Amino acid sequence: MLVYTMRRVLGALPVLVLASILTFVMIDVSGDPLADIRMQQPPPTEEVIQQAEARLYLDRSMPERYWLWMTGIGGNGDIGLLQGEFGPSTQGPHYEIGPAIAERLWTTLRLVGAAMVFALGLAIITGVISALRQYSKLDYTLTFVGFLALAMPTFWLAGIMQAAGVKFNQLVDEQVFATIGDGRFRAQGEPLGDQFLNAFAHMALPTLVLMLISFASWSRYQRTSMLEVMNSDYVRLARAKGLRNHVVIRRHALRTALIPLTTVVAISVASVIDGAILTEVVFQWRGLGDFFITAVDNNDSYALMGWLLLSGVIVIVANLVADLLYAVLDPRIRYE
Amino acid sequence: MTTEYMNEEHATVETGDDVVLEVTDLSVTFPSDDGPLPAVREVSYVLRRGEALGIVGESGSGKSVTSMAIMGLLPRNAQVEGSTRVLGQEIIGLNDKEISKVRGKKIAMIFQDPLTSLNPVYTIGYQIAEAVLAHKKVSKQAAMKRALELLEVVGIPSPEQRLRQYPHELSGGMRQRVVIAIAMANEPDVIIADEPTTALDVTVQAQVLDALQRARRETGAALVLITHDLGVVAGQVDRVGVMYAGRIVEMGPVEEVFYRPRMPYALGLLGSLPRLDGDASDRLTPILGSPPSLRDLPPGCGFAPRCPMARDRCHEEEPRLLLTTGDTGGESSAADDTIVHRSACHFSEELAGVEATDLFQAGEEREKAPKDAPETLVEPEVLLSATDLVKHFPIRSKGILRRKVGEVQAVSGISLDLREKETLALVGESGCGKSTTARLLLNLIKLTSGEVTYMGQPLQGLTDRRMRPLRKDLQLVFQDPFASLDPRMTVSDIIGEPMRIHGDGHRDARKRVKELLELVGLNPEHGSRYPHEFSGGQRQRIGVARALSLNPRVLVLDEPVSALDVSIQAGVINLLEDLQDELGLSYLFVSHDLSVVKHIADRVAVMYLGKMMETATTEQLFKAPAHPYTQALISAIPLPDPIKERTRERIIVTGDIPSPANPPSGCRFRTRCSKFANELSDAERTKCVEEPPELLDRGSGHRDACHYSQVVELI
Repeated sequence: MLVYTMRRVLGALPVLVLASILTFVMIDVSGDPLADIRMQQPPPTEEVIQQAEARLYLDRSMPERYWLWMTGIGGNGDIGLLQGEFGPSTQGPHYEIGPAIAERLWTTLRLVGAAMVFALGLAIITGVISALRQYSKLDYTLTFVGFLALAMPTFWLAGIMQAAGVKFNQLVDEQVFATIGDGRFRAQGEPLGDQFLNAFAHMALPTLVLMLISFASWSRYQRTSMLEVMNSDYVRLARAKGLRNHVVIRRHALRTALIPLTTVVAISVASVIDGAILTEVVFQWRGLGDFFITAVDNNDSYALMGWLLLSGVIVIVANLVADLLYAVLDPRIRYE
Repeated sequence: MTTEYMNEEHATVETGDDVVLEVTDLSVTFPSDDGPLPAVREVSYVLRRGEALGIVGESGSGKSVTSMAIMGLLPRNAQVEGSTRVLGQEIIGLNDKEISKVRGKKIAMIFQDPLTSLNPVYTIGYQIAEAVLAHKKVSKQAAMKRALELLEVVGIPSPEQRLRQYPHELSGGMRQRVVIAIAMANEPDVIIADEPTTALDVTVQAQVLDALQRARRETGAALVLITHDLGVVAGQVDRVGVMYAGRIVEMGPVEEVFYRPRMPYALGLLGSLPRLDGDASDRLTPILGSPPSLRDLPPGCGFAPRCPMARDRCHEEEPRLLLTTGDTGGESSAADDTIVHRSACHFSEELAGVEATDLFQAGEEREKAPKDAPETLVEPEVLLSATDLVKHFPIRSKGILRRKVGEVQAVSGISLDLREKETLALVGESGCGKSTTARLLLNLIKLTSGEVTYMGQPLQGLTDRRMRPLRKDLQLVFQDPFASLDPRMTVSDIIGEPMRIHGDGHRDARKRVKELLELVGLNPEHGSRYPHEFSGGQRQRIGVARALSLNPRVLVLDEPVSALDVSIQAGVINLLEDLQDELGLSYLFVSHDLSVVKHIADRVAVMYLGKMMETATTEQLFKAPAHPYTQALISAIPLPDPIKERTRERIIVTGDIPSPANPPSGCRFRTRCSKFANELSDAERTKCVEEPPELLDRGSGHRDACHYSQVVELI
């Protein structure tokens, strides 16, 4: 098991390096960080441009800049991922990318985490129910809901939810759902109960939107996987042993049916992050989504690189976790 | 708890004897889009304590569904009618809580495929202990201890270690023994074994049947053995029931049914079987047609459409399962149920003393041409010849580098010659390299080393383009008639495709396809149909027609009949024999079934772990097998004859086939050889361990690869 873990971790490292190179090159060739300055009227002096170029290290060659971005050796102390510096920003000398990402990461992780946990739980429950009651009315209903959620674009679903939230608030004449902002600063210093209510009000709708996207496909997947296991010989043998139905379902069917789901969930982390960007924009959260869009608007290369690399790391780590989890769940994988 | 005990007590008193399982008028119907599907119809039987009952039938006859209904394991939508009493307790209609007290405790079950019967994510020990804990309130340690005992009973070597292993670490035969251990965990009164050895090799089958017998001795359980293999039934059970189209059509003591069948189907089934103890020159007697669709059963006897003696009454009235005349004591009371012989045929009395050949071959009087006649004139030309074929498949590491960490020695030095108009059989158990050898001979995979020549021309190293003209002469028929035909092509297109590839006349192609369909015994008008409209046997005929479309000289048949039911199989074997006579074909017949091989082959080559063990003419090999492996193979094949099967001498092989990635040194068979284990001295054994035996001629072309070969007569 240790060897397996080590091998997986070591296997992830080259992928990480490759991801960083790809990220860097793709951002670096796509657009000029100084475009805004150059377009200014009246045109800035050559000196101003050169200063800006020097600050953003644009006076160096691309491989040099990549090396600098990674290590920070030979820079001004504001660059070098290995030193924890993300590089200078076009949004002004005082804008620090690292702390900005860290602050937004928490906001987004809260949303993504909550959405994934709920989606997973609900997907497993409905998937199992659908499988056990195959072709029943309940199964058809759940299938319909699943496909409906699957078919709706995120931004549209988010828009609908927001409108529905507003309508609901009007109906009950009370602010049950907050439809704008993440509300992190509003409840600071309040009693715990109020903090919770506030968090619920702000998180409920975006979480629901983000959840529905992954829930639909996961639930379908869980249903198929469960059906396959329920028809397997070992489930029949477990019944033939004289185990009660609920024991068979929990111990023999569900346990094995969950294994393939880990891979599916790990792979869809990337799409959940996509979904988070759109959801945050619609609900005007100041999370990583908002950070990304601001960075694009400002041609902020290093901010974009940092953001992309972070999502890359999240995806790679999620896959690594899935691999390790798979090995724990399925003894057939372990020693190969 | 008390009431249940009372019930049991009461029931035993009521039936008055030791009936453990009583099935009465059991019917199972599945709803489907095309109407109800009656899978089982009015099946009744009783089983006494310690008795063994065999249920035989072909696929789709309802034998498995019956047992699943008894266990209450059918899907929710199945409609089950009738009654099933276990120790007097009715179990049809019990709820989950009640039936789970019966399952595993009073009645246990063993399934067909040991590779899928165990949950891959739990250890062997856990899964056995779970069965114990389901019915006994004991500690986990005690349950594990019991699991250990059970593994010892079923004969699993080093059981302590096995307890902690996962199913994928055990071979198929081992896993089936674990399933048997689970079945006997709570000393049930009845064990239902549903095709317990069908997925296993014959030598392993013998071991598993042995374990099953030990389990019965240990627990005193009665056995219901469901199988399609008449040989297994002959050796294992006291009574046998024959199922056809969802009904029991004949039932009686095993000797009665085997020696004096009174239902044309049972008679035909026995007659269609190629027999190890039979005369190879006898023609097999297939049952024409195929079993009826359950959705569309004929109004009268289900077998009438295929029965040569069917009359008007048979098509109108369904015969009941009645006592056959000639039995002592005509009255049918439940008490003597276990000794009487019943059959479901209006004219069963006419079958007294009738042989299958009389009944089913009346129409086609056809003598098999004596094969040895032309042989004396001149030695036939060698068409396909292989010398020292070696094929190693590399095993690669899982990492990115994919280093070569070893190799599977699939074929290690096989030499053989296929002569004109001859059938050479390549036999061996799964994993012995026989299919790989067949593919090497056709140049479908690359040789590691060695030489293959077709009519003197070397094949190895030929490019696909240079190989193509030769492919006309060398054609292949596959094992699986369902997977080897493209479901989206019509039968005409499938059969005509080789001609199209080789650019043979478009005009004549249609005519040729019709000729071919007729040649293989299919209706030439059916060319526009799709494969799914044909039965397994018919599809295999289509596969043969496709292989024949280019007028080949050599056909490589890779297990051509092993996926077919016996009554169908006989027809295909007869077809192959006729085609050989008519077209002068040479066959390389790859098979694991020695009975079929004995019937069809002129010469036999026995393979084990990539090596040739013995090669001889069919007559020599079966009359006087010299290699211990051949002897073991022959004696592991159950004979469909109850008396012979129970009295014959056996050479038992222990253990499983070693991995071809790491074959034993010296003689590859020595790890399982009974001669090596029991008869040889230490000095002699050293030779087996150190020196690989060569394939030596022991006279008249009979060659074997054993240092101490000795002819033994087994049949």
